[in-house]
Amino acid sequence: MNEPLIKAENISYRYDGDDLNKSPVLNELSIDIKEGEFIAILGHNGSGKSTLAKLLNMILVPVTGKIYILGKDITDENITDEDILTLRKDVGMVFQNPDNQLVATVVEDDVAFGPENLGLPSEEIRERVDKVLKGVGMYEYAKHEPHRLSGGQKQRIAIAGVLAMEPKCIIFDESTAMLDPIGRRDVMNSIIELNREKGMTVIMITHYMEEAALADRIIVLDDGNAILDGTPEYVFEHEELLRSCGLNIPQCTELVHRLREKGIKLDGDCATVEACAEMILKSLGKE
Amino acid sequence: MKSIAFGQYYPADSVLHRMDPRFKLIISLLYIVCTFLCKNVLSFSVLLASALFLIIIGRVPLRIVLRSMRAVLVILLFTAVLNVFWTDGDRLLLSWKFINIYAEGIYNAVFIMIRITVLIIGTSMLVTYTTTPIALTDAIEDLLSPLKKIKVPVHEFAMMMTIALRFIPTLIEETEKIMTAQKARGADFSSGGLIKRAKALIPILVPLFVSAFNRASDLATAMECRCYHGGEGRTRMNVRHVRFADFVYLLIVIIFGAGLVYLNIFGIGYTMK
Amino acid sequence: MSEIKIEGLTYYHGKGTPYEIKALDDINITVPKGAVTGIIGHTGSGKSTLVQMFNGILRPETGRVLLDGADIWEKPKKIRDVRFKVGLVMQYPEYQLFEETVYKDIAYGPKNMGLSDDEIRERVHGAARFAGLTPDMLDKSPFDLSGGQKRRVAIAGIIAMRPDVLVLDEPAAGLDPRGRESIFGNIMQYHRETGSTVIIVSHSMEDMARYCDNLIVMNEGKVCMQGDAEHIFSRAEFLEQIGLDIPQITKLMIMLKEKGINVNTGAYTVEQALNGMLGIYGK
Repeated sequence: MNEPLIKAENISYRYDGDDLNKSPVLNELSIDIKEGEFIAILGHNGSGKSTLAKLLNMILVPVTGKIYILGKDITDENITDEDILTLRKDVGMVFQNPDNQLVATVVEDDVAFGPENLGLPSEEIRERVDKVLKGVGMYEYAKHEPHRLSGGQKQRIAIAGVLAMEPKCIIFDESTAMLDPIGRRDVMNSIIELNREKGMTVIMITHYMEEAALADRIIVLDDGNAILDGTPEYVFEHEELLRSCGLNIPQCTELVHRLREKGIKLDGDCATVEACAEMILKSLGKE
Repeated sequence: MKSIAFGQYYPADSVLHRMDPRFKLIISLLYIVCTFLCKNVLSFSVLLASALFLIIIGRVPLRIVLRSMRAVLVILLFTAVLNVFWTDGDRLLLSWKFINIYAEGIYNAVFIMIRITVLIIGTSMLVTYTTTPIALTDAIEDLLSPLKKIKVPVHEFAMMMTIALRFIPTLIEETEKIMTAQKARGADFSSGGLIKRAKALIPILVPLFVSAFNRASDLATAMECRCYHGGEGRTRMNVRHVRFADFVYLLIVIIFGAGLVYLNIFGIGYTMK
Repeated sequence: MSEIKIEGLTYYHGKGTPYEIKALDDINITVPKGAVTGIIGHTGSGKSTLVQMFNGILRPETGRVLLDGADIWEKPKKIRDVRFKVGLVMQYPEYQLFEETVYKDIAYGPKNMGLSDDEIRERVHGAARFAGLTPDMLDKSPFDLSGGQKRRVAIAGIIAMRPDVLVLDEPAAGLDPRGRESIFGNIMQYHRETGSTVIIVSHSMEDMARYCDNLIVMNEGKVCMQGDAEHIFSRAEFLEQIGLDIPQITKLMIMLKEKGINVNTGAYTVEQALNGMLGIYGK
């Protein structure tokens, strides 16, 4: 798999009515995402991260630049409706507000919505719906009404709805921002499981550092461009740069940085609590 | 506000719940016709009994059905009173100033009350209590699908209904939240004259509309992302196959209607015109 | 400056329906005058119901809500006056904006109080400043502002009523780190300058630990813990059990303690943890 799943070359985007003197929402941004990667896109509100998600899903079209998905140029003017449908099937999307993305009045009907749009045979839809609902641990709620579920449960239904289309990758557009800690934990667990166990390519847009720390790679957006791109460990080393664009680093990472400044030798990764604990224990000679 | 019980789906396992929703719709239409076929005490009694029978086989608790009837009690009483006072007849029971009450008026009032009651119980038992909203919209789409040939947007119509059903609880909740928020800013919805009260609604309606539009735009994006492109080429997870039993139910209702017409011959007491 | 006291308060949602739930169960608390009090609890713990008791949006079935010693439901017709004294900023309050201009929207509360135009003008400008809005925004339509700015307008709308007690339900929900810090900064500045009693409801333990003088922890409709941040976080395991997210640094301290390292598991800021760790490393 040498060819990237998603490749964006120098894309720029400006909303209608935006001040032309200001820099565009996205400014000559280039990224590439390989199959199976778990990428977090970090940035403060208004850094252009949600615009990027909409561009990757063809809800918006870049003003300049090219986007390739599975080698196909989706910015080509002559793209057919059929191509767009295939593309949307391959790049699933889960949004921020759990209430505004569920269509049906019964959970399983909602999950079936995507496959129904794809025109699949009934038996196959049924099979997929059961499978994905079990996958996100919501099978027992199949006959429930979505509005009686918690925010975290609704988001897991939304994930199931996207999975039922069997996409190549899923974009989570601040999907945990409106959830309480329990809902956030459950949704994060579902996302991690998707990537680690099923090999799904995940692009997670967020401003929670603790969530981004769980990704393989973080891209930090500021003023419409990628200012940092690398492993969580690498990105968190740039504490000052992150602060200057309105972001923090996780508390544990900060603690390790402070300890290192005091001359204590701590080697290794410090992006997550577990990694920090291990590192400190090792330095104190305990396993 | 959340306790709008009238005509909500009641989950249970019964003959009515299992019946094909398309047939249920046709049967309930025929049943409505049946309520208009009754003319005398005998046929109305049988009609009333049939409504009770539907409640029993539909396995919906009687108190839930009765509670939903409470909502239409005013209409029931109103039409009854109208009939008592405005029916002319031969047997005068009471006369005071310009008010004349005839036995026919009393009969009419009772008959009309039974008719409305049975109409509501019948349709809610056959349709709303025993059919999920989604099955109902699917059934409507199916039944109206011949109209697609003359370019009636049947699918879009059904989709709109589904979405409306999905968002009613969400918007009710939203309304409550906005009301609370404005109350916290000293809004007063319960005092003052009509104009003052209507004005007090603006701080609720404006945010509600703004939020509804935002939700609509979010939902449209989400639907597009899930490959929605209208009804063309779309399949369904739940495909209904017509069963023999459904035809039997249909036949029973037709025979029932014919029976009611037959019962009208036996003139006991008053016969409606 | 006012004190709120709640005595023996119990409340059911959907009383008399099949969906009846006991939302609040025998609550007895005192929210001290002039302090910042935090209320923590997971969704459904009753915290949002409780805050609607403070300003008389909901009426308790049993028990009393006392504002400076007086039962707020003594004269139910006067409940509006209580709402002006106890200002409640709801969760995602940006959805409550409705006026043509930011100015008019902030003025809605003061207008309902029946104040003079001059008084209203003064209050709107003062409130806008506290909420971090610039004067040029006042003539704009609230619907042209960004999400964060809208929230500030909504907060200003409550501050403009000059309440003795300011209650905020999740004021920073959904904001990025910079937005969170800035909105809490504004709230704290308001608190310092006016000396008013402030009550904050939040999921974010880091924020609560940082800004609140004392904390009330709710679970299943009951108050299960009360005290300052250090006291609350010293029982981090319990907090996790009832579905709360404890600060990351506290999690780390607990992990180290389990491995036999003598750290303070009540630490909830990087500084506290750093001091403890430096001691262990002998520096």
